[in-house]
Amino acid sequence: MSVASRVPFPDVVLPVSGLVAAVACWWGLTAVLALPPYVLPSPVAVGTRLAENPGLYLSNAVETLRKITIGGATGIATGFVLALVISEVSLLRRAIYPYLVAARVLPKIAIAPILLIYLGVGFGTAVLFVALIVFFPVVVGTAAGLNRAPDSHLDLLRSVDADPIRTFLSVRLPHALPDVFAGVKQSVTLAVVGAVVAEWILSNDGLGSLILVASENVQVDVMLASLAVLLPMGLLLYGGVSLCYRAVAWR
Amino acid sequence: MTMISVENLSVTYGDLVALDDVSLDIDDGEFVTVVGPSGCGKTTLLRAIGGLESPTTGRVSVDGDTPEAAQSAARLGFVFQDHTLLPWKTALENITFLRKMAGKDPDPEGARDLLATTGLDGFEDARPSELSGGMKQRVAIARAIHLGADVLLMDEPFGELDEITRDEMGVEILRLWRENRKTVVFVTHSVPEAVFLADRCLVVSGTTPTAGATTDDGVGRIVGEFDIDLPRPRDESVFGSEAFGTQVARVRQALHGDE
Repeated sequence: MSVASRVPFPDVVLPVSGLVAAVACWWGLTAVLALPPYVLPSPVAVGTRLAENPGLYLSNAVETLRKITIGGATGIATGFVLALVISEVSLLRRAIYPYLVAARVLPKIAIAPILLIYLGVGFGTAVLFVALIVFFPVVVGTAAGLNRAPDSHLDLLRSVDADPIRTFLSVRLPHALPDVFAGVKQSVTLAVVGAVVAEWILSNDGLGSLILVASENVQVDVMLASLAVLLPMGLLLYGGVSLCYRAVAWR
Repeated sequence: MTMISVENLSVTYGDLVALDDVSLDIDDGEFVTVVGPSGCGKTTLLRAIGGLESPTTGRVSVDGDTPEAAQSAARLGFVFQDHTLLPWKTALENITFLRKMAGKDPDPEGARDLLATTGLDGFEDARPSELSGGMKQRVAIARAIHLGADVLLMDEPFGELDEITRDEMGVEILRLWRENRKTVVFVTHSVPEAVFLADRCLVVSGTTPTAGATTDDGVGRIVGEFDIDLPRPRDESVFGSEAFGTQVARVRQALHGDE
């Protein structure tokens, strides 16, 4: 029996208490120090902001979510297909895989201003940027995963002349799934970052844009309200991917 | 009747000679063991018979056909040292899996019966991680038999098992062979195992192939061939017999040459 399971609280009680305590401290701080709202608004002020104009936050959240999902899906799909191609064509693999790995070091955010020059401000540019950021961890993870099936397993299938598509679906893909999902999980986090950055530089809507405009007007409460929407959105996406993985993976 | 025919087979990788001009015939239903040290080319021989390795020169035929044709007809049942079970499938699913991949009609009843006769009754739904090393190899052997293969090609299948389990598995494979009448080519580096199982034991030369080795080094050649006339059926009691000891000594001598 582990220490954790002997603690007399269910799993949700402690984390929730932690959150409540943190918000209480924040509130206490603003009340005791009588901080002006442009320095640090109280949680109540942030809550009020949200409640006063839920439509504003909701419509911007939808815009951000569209960039994350469309850009994310495009990047994941492209990364998966490219990984598939380079795992089949060893010449191509040797020519470009090192650069795909190396490209992880490159801060992709620095590419945004370049996209701006070529494609201008707009939804499409933002989606492309998100896709680009998401693409790299997926292609590297998937390519590594598709190499994971032991040679002996492939020999076994070769010894009965199994067709390549069945071999792929029944042996190589399942062996690759943990790596594919490791890449996708990284991608989800990056997609949220990418969407917000895109909304600063490449488009004029969404929560990222709202945060930027609020910053220019020193509306800290609006910025925090936007973050309060962004955080659960990111968590839900990440949780969704984790659930998908659990549904298909083996241990 | 000849089931497997190897004629002047050589396999080289660049300078590396894995097999040098090997010829042999194996009869239908015969149990042939191939013994030799690591790196002597015995695994290459097995893989060439099974069509997983292409001859550099010479030819291999299985029942008069190419190994590739035998693969397509699902006549070759490989058992590797690594059990090659899919970790996400149950024991039963692992057995039926290969047959499905070979495009043959499913036979779930047969798979169940086979699992029972290999002593895995009650483990149908167990994952490989829940099975012992010996049990995993039983599943791998059952998978090859369930495939309906005529030829079992076994590459040190008991190499990773402890010695006690190994002896038990030897008795087990002989029983399965008796009941299913397959042709078996069994590669091992254990001389007692090779003698215990075999109708005929082939000794592959002991020099490890190195870059630049010439054929004079005796690399990748069959240097001894012994008919093992110990009475069948054999069980663990054979290990203690004088005849067994004599055969093992003869094979050992061939293996070590003049030393």
